[in-house]
Amino acid sequence: MLNSVRGRIANEMTGAALPFVAFCIALNLTVGQVTAALKIPLYLDSIGTVLVAVLVGPWSAVIAGSFANLLAAAFGNPSMMFFIPVVVVIGAFTGYLARAGWFRRWYLVALGGILQGILAAIVSAPISAYLFGGVMMTGTDFLVLYFRSVGNTLLNSVFYQGLTSDPVDKLITYLLVFFITRSLPRRLLSRLRGASNLKETPSRHAP
Amino acid sequence: MRLDISSKLALVLLLWVCAFTLEWFVSVPLLVVAAAARYLVPAFRPQSHRANRAFNKFLLYSVAILVLLTALNALLMPGGDILFTLAGLKFHHDGLMFGIRTAARLLLLSVSILIFFISTPLPDFIRFLQQKGLPSQLILILLLTLHFLDQLPERINRVFVAQEARGAPVRAGVFSRAKSLVSILSPLVLSSIVESIDRGTALEVRGFLVRPEASLVRVQARQKLNPVSLTLLLLTLGVLFLFLLRWLLAF
Repeated sequence: MLNSVRGRIANEMTGAALPFVAFCIALNLTVGQVTAALKIPLYLDSIGTVLVAVLVGPWSAVIAGSFANLLAAAFGNPSMMFFIPVVVVIGAFTGYLARAGWFRRWYLVALGGILQGILAAIVSAPISAYLFGGVMMTGTDFLVLYFRSVGNTLLNSVFYQGLTSDPVDKLITYLLVFFITRSLPRRLLSRLRGASNLKETPSRHAP
Repeated sequence: MRLDISSKLALVLLLWVCAFTLEWFVSVPLLVVAAAARYLVPAFRPQSHRANRAFNKFLLYSVAILVLLTALNALLMPGGDILFTLAGLKFHHDGLMFGIRTAARLLLLSVSILIFFISTPLPDFIRFLQQKGLPSQLILILLLTLHFLDQLPERINRVFVAQEARGAPVRAGVFSRAKSLVSILSPLVLSSIVESIDRGTALEVRGFLVRPEASLVRVQARQKLNPVSLTLLLLTLGVLFLFLLRWLLAF
């Protein structure tokens, strides 16, 4: 089992992929600088993971997301460690969507982003509710408190809060990745294994 | 006192188990001790100015969060007695206790992770992971990430200024600003792919992808657990055992 996983990771991470995955991890951690400079109220903190999922593969995306959360904890945001299962789901789900050809059409990308947002809300709700009592030290905590004050259970309140913010964030993340991958020269993309996910011909990875 | 990385990780594990199993009146003193360790125990001193700043910022932030969340929960979560009324606002007992329990657990978990990372330089932690058998490709990714993290903020700033000079609407309405995200992120990703191809080619011609282990410094693995780690792990098991015993006796 472990050897099979190692084999799949080694199969995805060839040539240019290793430095590219490292860049995407760093992008996850620093994209906040761009959104803050543009004064846009978005997180986009999984944009690097989605880029890796599309251009390299799901296993690499799982690794990129996990390392990004680990490093976020190291740089002063310790609660990110507990959300590694969420980025694992984001990486795997996006990677398999990309392999199935969803990143060739903008409307499929938009639909995938919304589905991803709902999935992220479902996976993060139990962690947020049972480990942290719905308190994540962010502005959205007030939304959780509001949903609780109108009579919802803690788990439902956290889930509803997730539903209000995650689908929008993931939709924009997916569309950004779609436009970025469209604007990159094919010659450069061909060095990454997942580039076949963007071609019009059926991918050889497609299930 | 000299603590190695495995001892610190064992301590983090013990504090996590305490955060989830012990009552808030035990968690709060533990939290104070863990935070004080940063100042009193040399092994937990920050290894850089950035780490020191992150810890101090977190400490200030957590005090504000503790007060705010306890007060808001007491105000918005009805249940139990009304403890007091302030300017017509009623503060409830159940909400207050929920707020204190949650804040104590969250802060103990967060402080335990933070004191580990501020006192352990990341290259040392990566070397530790290498000792424990993490594949060489993943070690290289972590090391390259640290390199990119040093460079990326400056690169983002350069692209931002360049796009602004070309007339990108970086200060217009929110939708125009959102559109200029693509014009900022595209050159950033493009330049990184170009750089990654250069680096990937350099790795290939050096034979890294064929025999990655030969390219990294071999670190001698130490298999035996040291006495401090062993004691902390036994304490963790003891706390877990007591929690299970109390849970079974409650039936």
